[in-house]
Amino acid sequence: MAADRKKLFAKHLEIKFTKEHGTNKMEGGKITDMVGKYYRLGVDQNPRKLEMKKAGQEIAKKRGLVGYNPMMHCGGIPLGQRALTPSFVSGTDMMVEIDDLHYVNNAAMQQMWDDIRRTCIVGMDLAHETLEKRLGIEVTPETINFYLETLNHALPGGAVVQEHMVETHPALVDDCYCKVFTGDDELADEIDKQFLIDINKEFPEDQAAQIKAAIGKTTWQAAHIPTIVSRTTDGAQTTRWMAMQVGMSFISAYSMCAGEAAVADLSYAAKHAGVISMGEMLPARRARGPNEPGGISFGHLADIIQTSRVDPEDPAHIALEVVGAGCMLYDQIWLGSYMSGGVGFTQYATAAYTNNILDDNLYYDVDYINDKYNGAAKKGTDNKVKATLEIVKDITTESTLYGLENYEKYPTALEDHFGGSQRATVLSAAAGAATAIATGNGNAGLSGWYLCMYLHKEAHGRLGFFGFDLQDQCGATNVFSYQSDEGLPLELRGPNYPNYAMNVGHQGGYAAIASAAHAGRGDAYAVNPLVKVCFADSLLPFDFTAPRKEFGRGALREFMPAGERSLIIPAK
Amino acid sequence: MAYKPQYYPGATSVAVNRRKHMSGDVEKLREIADDDLVMILGHRAPGSDYRSTHPPLAEMGEPECSIRQAVEPTPGAKAGDRVRYVQFVDSMYNGPSVPYVRSYSAAINFRGVDPGTLSGRQVIEARERDMEEVAKFQIETEMFDPALSSLRGATVHGHSLRLQEDGVMFDMLDRARLEQDGIVRMHKDQVGRPIDKKVELGKPMSPQEAAKRTTIFRVDNVAYRSDKEVIEWVHRVFDQRTKYGFKPE
Repeated sequence: MAADRKKLFAKHLEIKFTKEHGTNKMEGGKITDMVGKYYRLGVDQNPRKLEMKKAGQEIAKKRGLVGYNPMMHCGGIPLGQRALTPSFVSGTDMMVEIDDLHYVNNAAMQQMWDDIRRTCIVGMDLAHETLEKRLGIEVTPETINFYLETLNHALPGGAVVQEHMVETHPALVDDCYCKVFTGDDELADEIDKQFLIDINKEFPEDQAAQIKAAIGKTTWQAAHIPTIVSRTTDGAQTTRWMAMQVGMSFISAYSMCAGEAAVADLSYAAKHAGVISMGEMLPARRARGPNEPGGISFGHLADIIQTSRVDPEDPAHIALEVVGAGCMLYDQIWLGSYMSGGVGFTQYATAAYTNNILDDNLYYDVDYINDKYNGAAKKGTDNKVKATLEIVKDITTESTLYGLENYEKYPTALEDHFGGSQRATVLSAAAGAATAIATGNGNAGLSGWYLCMYLHKEAHGRLGFFGFDLQDQCGATNVFSYQSDEGLPLELRGPNYPNYAMNVGHQGGYAAIASAAHAGRGDAYAVNPLVKVCFADSLLPFDFTAPRKEFGRGALREFMPAGERSLIIPAK
Repeated sequence: MAYKPQYYPGATSVAVNRRKHMSGDVEKLREIADDDLVMILGHRAPGSDYRSTHPPLAEMGEPECSIRQAVEPTPGAKAGDRVRYVQFVDSMYNGPSVPYVRSYSAAINFRGVDPGTLSGRQVIEARERDMEEVAKFQIETEMFDPALSSLRGATVHGHSLRLQEDGVMFDMLDRARLEQDGIVRMHKDQVGRPIDKKVELGKPMSPQEAAKRTTIFRVDNVAYRSDKEVIEWVHRVFDQRTKYGFKPE
């Protein structure tokens, strides 16, 4: 391991900054040059901007009302006074236009959020107990299969029990379904395979054993309501839609009386007692129901992302995929739109998952840890280094100095992350995730995050913006706080945690640190095995094993989303 | 023994320069005429009166108040000036100052200022004439370099971009230019509005001079890791904040 190792970002920065893209004249030079040429070519140098400009003109003509016009920028000085360059999605060779990493322009990003928002997990055991103990109805694998067949008709909007009912068109809701999973191998063997998320098949053996031990003989439904429903309503609708259709399906499948009192028990189980939302409800001042992004804990997001089961030997990779997903969901959608409005957060959040700059820093850290701490960054539990402040200081300081010096040695890396908040996020995500991988402790990683912020601020005499800095100045004090509302384990914190509510650019990093701690240990899940299994399902439109690649496919317009309504609109 | 502020730790030239900026004991390198300053700030026409938000304090019949008696109002407050801003941008390629040090400098050495610190820019808000005093001080001293620092109310990302071929920090709005006689002149005010006459900012520092006077650590000049005392001090701050949260004593 050496500081002059091949930089993972070198190839991508060379293409980005020394090759012409569109007509930006960025040909030649080196990525280490401190001086650049500025041609001030405006938006016409960039293919996507040109497409947008033309669209803006056509829209204005068609509707008789002006719209997008790049000359409105800065009183007539358009974007592109410096070269407009594309970016690479980290961990891939996908070169994309940065505009196409805004979620409005990216169907994969929309679908990732759709797939989370429209998902809930419902226990089957309470309902089965009601049927068996209260009503004396026999529940067998056969009846469960029949119920699931009924539910997969009803959940998308098919009618059961009642006659002459309106139904939804199946072609509009074809992404809606329910599968089941259980820690009981015997029961799993009896479930029709089309309905089963097979833990033994989807997870490596050691992870499957952990998950089955945690779940035990309980049985759960992974329900995904239609994307189109979730988009038209909100996240809180997910459990309601599910519960109504689950209740009706029980009535139909088990030939119950539609009005008998036991139905209320089934309904209560599906709506409250046995249901798990992906996100918790938020307090009135932020006023969102369950399954909205502000309520999704970092541990839940770490479990939603599935890289840990397909690449378990590479904890850094697992954390980096969670960074990408978290920055997109928490920064671009939650803080950037729900909380703030505007479009600027994308430029900021993408720094953590483009051009391999964060990846390079974290893999450097992995080498450093393995060299100095005898393989502590490899997957395992016996090889971890004790989580002490001295260890936090050592790993984080080395990580931060390395990352800072990259920005100083590679002016194009600095130019790519032209905002201090971008740099701060990337540096701290690397330091925090590395510390978490080495120690197997999320709060030790979080501690590294804050030390990195302090080190960065003193090195460059700057950090992020007012609000960003404020939270990072005081954050170290709540990492191990004795007060329960401040010292919460990182896995259970979330975007609405005190001080994190407007914590721009941080939350993807926090989720990654939570993920890194468990990936480093080889844990099958970070906080909730049910959430981990629920998303271990290739039938979901979004591939949660590789969110960054999916964002790239979205940017390249290769991703096919769900919930399209072309069936019911005039053909163009 | 009288308290002597230490301002900042460290033994490197960067640490020494940070102490100088914070103490206010900085070298004067240039002069800017009052009217020129007013023009590039862009808040009022040169020679015009200050706009006020309230009558002079002396005419207001203020209530009895021990705080008012103890604190002498700044000239701007006394006159009732509105609050206006100056915003500096410093290149990361050995720009003379850095946002946090500018904020510390303003807060330590001037009264009635509201410094704001970001990554690319540093804004100081104050009553207009008080703000002009701070701006003049910073522009005329080694806290400013015509090529590597700038007054920019908007579009500040030049701070982290590669320098232009003439060694000047890139500016999307092209407010200041290095002209053929080697002098940097502003053609526009802080927010990029053209001004009636060019305002001379002076000659840029040589690269060697900038490297000597800068307050930013860089691996190709004064490496951060070379200042052990600064890093040790950061670790101490981190230790204490962390432990205090765990066990406040």
